Amino acid sequence: MLAFHEKFNLIHQLHPITNLVFTGVVFLLALICSHPLYLLVLFMATGTVIIAAGHREEWLSYLKFSLIMILMLMIVNVTFVHYGETVLYTGPRLPVIGELIITLEALAYAGGMGLRLLVIISIFCLYTYAIHPDKVLKLFSHRGGKSVLVVTLATRLFPLMVQDYIRITEAQRCRGVKFGSGNWYERIKKTLPVFKILLVSSMDRSLQLAESMHARGYGSGRPSSYQIELWRSRDFIIIPVLGLGLLSGLWSLMHGWSSYNYYPRLADFQSEEIIMAAVIMLTLSFPAILNWGWLKCRSLRSKI
Amino acid sequence: MAIIAIFLGVLLVLSLLPDNPLYSLNWPLLSVTILCLGLLTLFRRFEKKGISSKEIAVIATLATLAAIVRVPFAVIAGIQPATFVVIISGYVFGSQIGFMVGAVAALVSNFFLGQGPWTPWQMFSWGVCGLLAGLLPARPNQFPLLLFAALSGFCGYLFGWLMNIWHWVGFVYPLNLQTFLATYLASLAFDTLHALGNVAFAVLFGPSFYHILLRYRKKLEVTSVIEQCKDGLYLDASSTERKLGN
Repeated sequence: MLAFHEKFNLIHQLHPITNLVFTGVVFLLALICSHPLYLLVLFMATGTVIIAAGHREEWLSYLKFSLIMILMLMIVNVTFVHYGETVLYTGPRLPVIGELIITLEALAYAGGMGLRLLVIISIFCLYTYAIHPDKVLKLFSHRGGKSVLVVTLATRLFPLMVQDYIRITEAQRCRGVKFGSGNWYERIKKTLPVFKILLVSSMDRSLQLAESMHARGYGSGRPSSYQIELWRSRDFIIIPVLGLGLLSGLWSLMHGWSSYNYYPRLADFQSEEIIMAAVIMLTLSFPAILNWGWLKCRSLRSKI
Repeated sequence: MAIIAIFLGVLLVLSLLPDNPLYSLNWPLLSVTILCLGLLTLFRRFEKKGISSKEIAVIATLATLAAIVRVPFAVIAGIQPATFVVIISGYVFGSQIGFMVGAVAALVSNFFLGQGPWTPWQMFSWGVCGLLAGLLPARPNQFPLLLFAALSGFCGYLFGWLMNIWHWVGFVYPLNLQTFLATYLASLAFDTLHALGNVAFAVLFGPSFYHILLRYRKKLEVTSVIEQCKDGLYLDASSTERKLGN
């Protein structure tokens, strides 16, 4: 039931910290870079890694979903922002907005921000489908034991409660309740007993769960660990390369190459910007390149 | 908490002062930093508090319930029964548990619905709804339907207003009053639907959920009083009875 499904590729076999470093680096660079070229590079690099991880279909559904958000973003930017010298359209005077002026610069800015949204959405897509939530939670279990325990328990209870919900609705159907008929008020009234029973049974289970935790010695000392995530050569190769990508981004930020002047007129691209964008593309796509080698070459797979 | 507040204050002041590297600091980055630090502070508070295994199990259960009820309504934009579950949890069990239920519900439901940049904002927004519900004046064994419905409606708008921040600072330029109002105007219909849905859930489910949860709260209170008795805090029976509200 979890969105995460184990797959046979290098991305799924990495240490959770390595995966978190990748998502963290891309997320940070997406927030600090406003240059469309850098955002495009981040989008392409993330997309390459997602496809390498075997989640192309899921990624496409994420992108389709984000198109609505991008549309809203473009409408707000283009309608309300009258900056920019290249006027594409001058429309009638509208209430609140004033004269409708659409400029190329505002359109380009909205496009750039749409690209930033796509990068951020993509990185979360990778996080959802390629990193096991339990492995990530375990990383933080030593620092925030109680919070992590609550999240882990809730994750475990989710499928259990869904089964309960299905069981209760089936029992109600057997008793002649038709959930699909009637107006919306009648339908909600029919679901009321289902949620009440679900609440009562879940709360009863929570008390049993607490007793079970107590019986197993919860709170009596430091929690014991049953599984240790191994660090492998692949992690030691990928993390420095990602670090290089991050440094390239920060270097570009310091020199102002990662920011772009949309207003008053779209600026030209500089050669330094293109070179640094290429470096970032290469370093952030490295996990996908290594995955290709890992799948094709058995000796490489055995070594890393 | 004080260190975090000072750090945030310095960061905000530096972002407004010219001639320093943090001038006009990246607002999306700053907003995410502030949000994460806020969440961290509230989680830290939970970690420091003496929480029993029963409370942990109850929080996990209510968070799961809030996450579950999100799924059938996920297709209807605006209708969020999870907000109602979070608010009723906060009202019955207090601000701390209300916050945790809201924050964990957002995180856990997104493990199944899909994580996104909205996750920390949803965690914070729902957490705040639960926290506010805990601040409502409690009346012993009486459910204040009107007050609760009003808070539910307000939380519908509050959730949207908080969620709009990341959209505004992250993707809109320039950051001025006009674009701020435009962003909030664009989401008004969804926020109103959310508020109306919350009020409907509060009226339909509120009284029954309240009485069910109240029964379980009393079970938790009995446990905590017994634990306090063990520590020597309540040694005579009369004070224990007073604590239980009998």
